Amino acid sequence: MNPSASVEVYWLILPLVIAISLVYSASRHESWRRIWWHSARLCVWIMGLLMMATAILLLINTQV
Amino acid sequence: MTEPSVNLRNPALAALLAWLIPGAGHIYQGRIGKGILYAICILGLFFIGLIMGEGKIVYWRWVNPLQNPEKFPLYYLGQFFVGLPSLPALVQSLLERYGHGPILGGFMAEPSQNTLNALQNRLGKLVEIGSIYTCVAGLLNILAIYDAFDGPAYHDETSPEAQAVPASAGGIPAGGSV
Repeated sequence: MNPSASVEVYWLILPLVIAISLVYSASRHESWRRIWWHSARLCVWIMGLLMMATAILLLINTQV
Repeated sequence: MTEPSVNLRNPALAALLAWLIPGAGHIYQGRIGKGILYAICILGLFFIGLIMGEGKIVYWRWVNPLQNPEKFPLYYLGQFFVGLPSLPALVQSLLERYGHGPILGGFMAEPSQNTLNALQNRLGKLVEIGSIYTCVAGLLNILAIYDAFDGPAYHDETSPEAQAVPASAGGIPAGGSV
């Protein structure tokens, strides 16, 4: 796999996170407004946490 | 626990339908939109994952997980909960166990180790990501099955999020009707 292809693989996390957020939110609420709102918030949270964890791990990795 | 605000009809039947075809239980309950959302998300993830692994990452083999953990198809424990779309794997393994040949052109039959190795060499990470997609799809369907059986976790007027939804996002005040 060439380097650009290996970077593109990381984009595949996005549909996974969106699907998880939507299904989880839909299982908690019945109102569509709340489902969309909760799912958008959850999606941002998960992506934020993943990026933070990646940044920390990269930092540790380059320092060691 | 408060009374559900939605008519769950026959919850056990709805849960069974939700397992068989993601979203079907909700459609049976008249929650059409939610059923479609579950179907798109869960079946979408499952089939995209299946395509990533060229249809060879969903399979089951009868091994004892304690005696032979390396051969145990752990991902199938999640994939199983997608329902009908993953059942051919179980049928194929049963046929093989009782000495019959595979059906459906070997669709979801256990691939040989050589086939799996070649797939891994050719597709690399996509095999792993496809397995994760299909497994997560099944795990998400457990949430959907539970939703079909017991209704949503929060009735919107009592949910903690009710206070957090701004008016611009269409929030309904706590205690207001949904």
